[in-house]
Amino acid sequence: MTKREAGRSKGVNQTLVAPAAETPAEAEVAFERLYRSSRDDVYAYAAGILRDTTAAEEVTATAFERAYRKRARFDPSRGEPRAWLFGIARNAALDELRRRGRQADLAREPVDPMAQAAPEAVEQSERRLALAAALDALAAGDRELIALKFFAGLDNAEIADLLEISESNAGTRLHRAMTKLREACDEAL
Amino acid sequence: MRPFRDETELTVALRELRPAPRPEFAAELDARAAAGFPRGSRRAAAVARLRERVASTPPRRLIAPAGAFAVAAVVLATAVVGITQSGDPTPPGGPKTSRLDRAQEPRLPSVAQEGSPVQEVTPSSSAAPEAGSAGTSYSGEAATGAVAQSPPLPETGPYAAQAGRREIERSATVVLGTDPAEVRADAARVFDAVHAADGIVLSSSIRDGEAGAAGADFELLIPSSKLGDALAALSAIAEVRSRQESTQDITAPTVSAAERLREARATVEGLLRQLADADTDAERAAVEARLRSERYRVAASRSRLSSLERRANFSSVSLRIQTGAATSSDEGGGGAWGVDDGVDGAGRILAVGAGVTVIGMAILAPFVLLALLAWLGRRAWLRRARRATLSRA
Repeated sequence: MTKREAGRSKGVNQTLVAPAAETPAEAEVAFERLYRSSRDDVYAYAAGILRDTTAAEEVTATAFERAYRKRARFDPSRGEPRAWLFGIARNAALDELRRRGRQADLAREPVDPMAQAAPEAVEQSERRLALAAALDALAAGDRELIALKFFAGLDNAEIADLLEISESNAGTRLHRAMTKLREACDEAL
Repeated sequence: MRPFRDETELTVALRELRPAPRPEFAAELDARAAAGFPRGSRRAAAVARLRERVASTPPRRLIAPAGAFAVAAVVLATAVVGITQSGDPTPPGGPKTSRLDRAQEPRLPSVAQEGSPVQEVTPSSSAAPEAGSAGTSYSGEAATGAVAQSPPLPETGPYAAQAGRREIERSATVVLGTDPAEVRADAARVFDAVHAADGIVLSSSIRDGEAGAAGADFELLIPSSKLGDALAALSAIAEVRSRQESTQDITAPTVSAAERLREARATVEGLLRQLADADTDAERAAVEARLRSERYRVAASRSRLSSLERRANFSSVSLRIQTGAATSSDEGGGGAWGVDDGVDGAGRILAVGAGVTVIGMAILAPFVLLALLAWLGRRAWLRRARRATLSRA
């Protein structure tokens, strides 16, 4: 299993690289594979950028529904299915962020690292809490990069494709975001 | 508490922080995905299915149905336009029946074609109205317009519905087909027929030559009471390629002009009485000035009424004698229906279809353009808004 695959949804060993869907049945099968390989990744990305479980669920469902409706329009020559799917998810997440920005500032759901993984030790739990707080304090753009890289499991090329920037630019931005995150964690710890 | 040793440790911690969906949500989403993300109500589901079907069809597969739909629309529109325009059940090969439902503007005498031998025939008249009035008597638009601009009169109304007698202006167009050698003889018969009906030949032109070039054109005035007989006589001269009659109700402007004339005359009589009773020169001068104006009104009203009465009493007939094969403008030409007629018909249908298409596109183009601009604008605005959202959040 490659490093890129390791960060992805469990139980899925194969990235969907289906050729152009020629028939509705093939498109159906290709979409099902894409769904199974990306469901948890899309949710993780949405939750990472929105910091709200309910909103993340909504955005995930919306993203897959939109992708399902548009599945026949997907053109493999223009990129990977995952990048296409994350493009849809990103738009849905940003729309949700925009909607929330128009409304009264909703109470943000704090990330509870204890709920995500069993605490091995108090110190480790505190470090996770500090990391979650530092992540929460990052700018949305930086938080999105980290969510795409470490939550959704996209590599730099896929992130660059999604954000419509060069791969080196994506790497540079990611490095800066990580530096900021580390500094914020160091201050907290 | 110690900080993260290196980036690897931070990365591992981040991956451990990765949010995972609730099992209930995952199961629900799986079920929805398996069901093809169904929508709410039955109607919405039907619409959604249709939309989905269209959306799930690759664009190239939509081209054929879309093209078929467009062709069907054009054919339908063509058929509708064709039926609306013809409205005549006459089979090909026979003369057209009368079309009394469409008003036709009176035609002015035609001008002889250049480059062909033309023999001008002096208008002959029997029971003719005054010379020179024929041209002006057919400026029906101006006369009607003048009446429409004047203040409404109590007895007329827009259609003079209460008038005891309707004033109807009639006109007809006849196209005859003959051999080049018969053109002059047929033209002479036209004169005979017009004279027999006490009509007037306003203008005529006769062209000699080969089939197609030879022919004659006549502009005739026929007493309306004898129009039927005259048309029957004219139709008997040669093969009738087309015949069209139209009528226009001019009762309202006629009644209106008559009332206006009566009013003007009454005013003149009143002024004459005032003039007789006038004591001073100034009074007399003022009344005379008004009298001149009213007399002018009387003359104008009388002229308009005469003109309208002439239009009702005399019918305008345009007669053309053609040689050679019937052209598409003959509308139904004589002789047996053949391949040429079929080609002509197909050409007409195609021309109408092309016209309908062009008109349809001209109507739709601005809307499509606006919709496209709106869509592009919304898309650009959405992209900018999303970027701004990310930088603001």
